[in-house]
Amino acid sequence: MRFVQKTSYDQDIRFFEHRGQVFWYGLLALAVLIAPLFIERFYLGELSLVFIYAIAGIGLMLLVGYTGLVSLGHAAFLAIGAYSQAWLMNQGVPFPLTLPLSGFITAAVGALVGIPALRMTGIYLAVATLAFAIIVEQVIIHWPAVTGGFTGMVVPRARIELINLDLQQPIAFYYLCLAILVGCLLIAMNLLRSPTGRAFRAIRDSEISAQSLGIHLSSTKTLAFALSAGFTGVAGSLFAHKLGYLAPDSFTIQTSILLLLMVVVGGVGSLHGIIYGALFIGFLPQMLAVARDLLPVGIAQMPGLEPALFGLILILVLIYEPLGIYGRWLKIRSYFEQFPLYRRATHKRQKSYLRTERLR
Amino acid sequence: MSLLAMNDVSLSFGGVKAVQDVSFSVEKGEVFSIIGPNGAGKSTLFNLISRLYDCESGQIFWQGEEITSVPSHRIAELGIARTFQNTELFEHETVLRNLLIGKHIHRRSNAVADMFFLPSVRRQELVFRKEVEDVIDLLNLQHYRDQVIANLPYGVRKMVEVARALCIQPKAVLLDEPSSGLNPEETEDVSFWIEDINEELGATVIMVEHDMKLVSQVSDRVLALADGQVLATGTPPEIQQHPEVLRAYLGDAE
Ligand SMILES: Nc1ncnc2c1ncn2[C@@H]1O[C@H](COP(=O)(O)OP(=O)(O)OP(=O)(O)O)[C@@H](O)[C@H]1O
Ligand SMILES: [Mg+2]
Repeated sequence: MRFVQKTSYDQDIRFFEHRGQVFWYGLLALAVLIAPLFIERFYLGELSLVFIYAIAGIGLMLLVGYTGLVSLGHAAFLAIGAYSQAWLMNQGVPFPLTLPLSGFITAAVGALVGIPALRMTGIYLAVATLAFAIIVEQVIIHWPAVTGGFTGMVVPRARIELINLDLQQPIAFYYLCLAILVGCLLIAMNLLRSPTGRAFRAIRDSEISAQSLGIHLSSTKTLAFALSAGFTGVAGSLFAHKLGYLAPDSFTIQTSILLLLMVVVGGVGSLHGIIYGALFIGFLPQMLAVARDLLPVGIAQMPGLEPALFGLILILVLIYEPLGIYGRWLKIRSYFEQFPLYRRATHKRQKSYLRTERLR
Repeated sequence: MSLLAMNDVSLSFGGVKAVQDVSFSVEKGEVFSIIGPNGAGKSTLFNLISRLYDCESGQIFWQGEEITSVPSHRIAELGIARTFQNTELFEHETVLRNLLIGKHIHRRSNAVADMFFLPSVRRQELVFRKEVEDVIDLLNLQHYRDQVIANLPYGVRKMVEVARALCIQPKAVLLDEPSSGLNPEETEDVSFWIEDINEELGATVIMVEHDMKLVSQVSDRVLALADGQVLATGTPPEIQQHPEVLRAYLGDAE
């Protein structure tokens, strides 16, 4: 086991707890930086997609994992980000500027949605966000002047004219997505170690306590919604370039479920989990293709197999490993750290005590 | 001018008159206890003061200012902190983070500064941490600092909740049954830390408590409540001998 001796309060604020972590994360950083030298183009493209999913995952995780608000409509924010990006670029706004702009636009929409949605919790909120996603889908279809309607719209190439750099090249795009993912992760980590992130967690665990400690519930929830939408919007604008062509059917309820699946499978309430979850959903199509080959023809050809499988995985994870892949990894690690002493009960869920009755 | 004054406050739930025309006032620096049988309306009084419930009639004054309709998230800023009867902690967080959330009203940074963790945010974090550490020392929670609430025994949770309330640096703390669910040794400690809070930190203590021994040890004045109505107010010995109070507690047995 490792015991970290702490000698200053700064140590609890830093991102890395000890040298070992710096080493491993350094190695990981090196690996992703030199990956393009070794990886085939196809997989490079898939990895870029994983990074994009992870950015959206950060957004959704802030809301679901840290503020305790469930959204079944995040594909809508992805869509708003994507269409804003394409539209802004068609208006002649230069490329790098369009990314934060579409993030802001999506965040603003998120805040607007957040205001009525905050009055709801749990299943009601989930249904409301689902309804919102359907509205956005309809708006996209019926507003051809901006969105191209059913036929869709072409996304201009991502280029920085000034230095004549084509960011749509697989390798350049890979680095672009990586850089933005790292930036978003840093912002999320900063939020989580400061008062804003703590207020989110407080609301997740007990609204009543949060309130009596001076946290304004509705403005904090609105902020969480806006930030969540903002991150997802940035992911959406990268996604637009990945797709190259936007049509309403790129952002369906199935996409929303896929995003939620990422957060849940990776592990609710941890930023690490997002990366695992993004890898999982990024390579899910390949896994499904393999599974198809193994299944009997009758089942493999069935329409709707994918969403059914998504649902099944979601339910299985929720029942058997609510902390997702990251939670499983923590258990495996503590098994080895405590090796001969590991007790099966270490990670048993404990009974929690009565919460204040009558207050809700 | 009293620190806190309740003026003919009432609230009912359906047919149940939980609090009926209750008036009392608490002076600065006091330890003020509220006693009464189960269902007397003690917790409801606390919920009225922390504005989780709205008064149906009557007024609440804090330092002479009316706070009857101040929103509940402003109450902490005014310097009123509280604990809950069955604890309301942030279950999935560590003790340290629970206490840091108690610092929320002292934050000067905004979300944008937080996003980039500007130097001012870092300085603020270090100040918060130092102040939280003082509370941890006062209540002897060092051992539990990095543990998640869900894994802690009940007695420790109760202490963490008190600690979290103190992080507000309150002028008054409302403690709802601080000794319930504690073992005898822990209960003995309660009287010590109540005195610490009152004398060292100079906070006024308002508590609901069933343990009469504890009440008479620490309280300056006691309010006895039954069926939502005030029976009597006075010093602990006065209350213990008050005929109405005796009747409320022993009434049915006689
Ligand atoms: N939210 C609520 N809805 C309905 N009735 C309530 C509610 N809160 C309290 N009551 C009722 O109001 C009365 C007073 O309750 P309260 O919780 O204030 O009692 P208490 O004095 O704190 O009792 P205890 O010693 O059991 O904690 C009880 O009859 C209770 O059932
Ligand atoms: Mg009570």
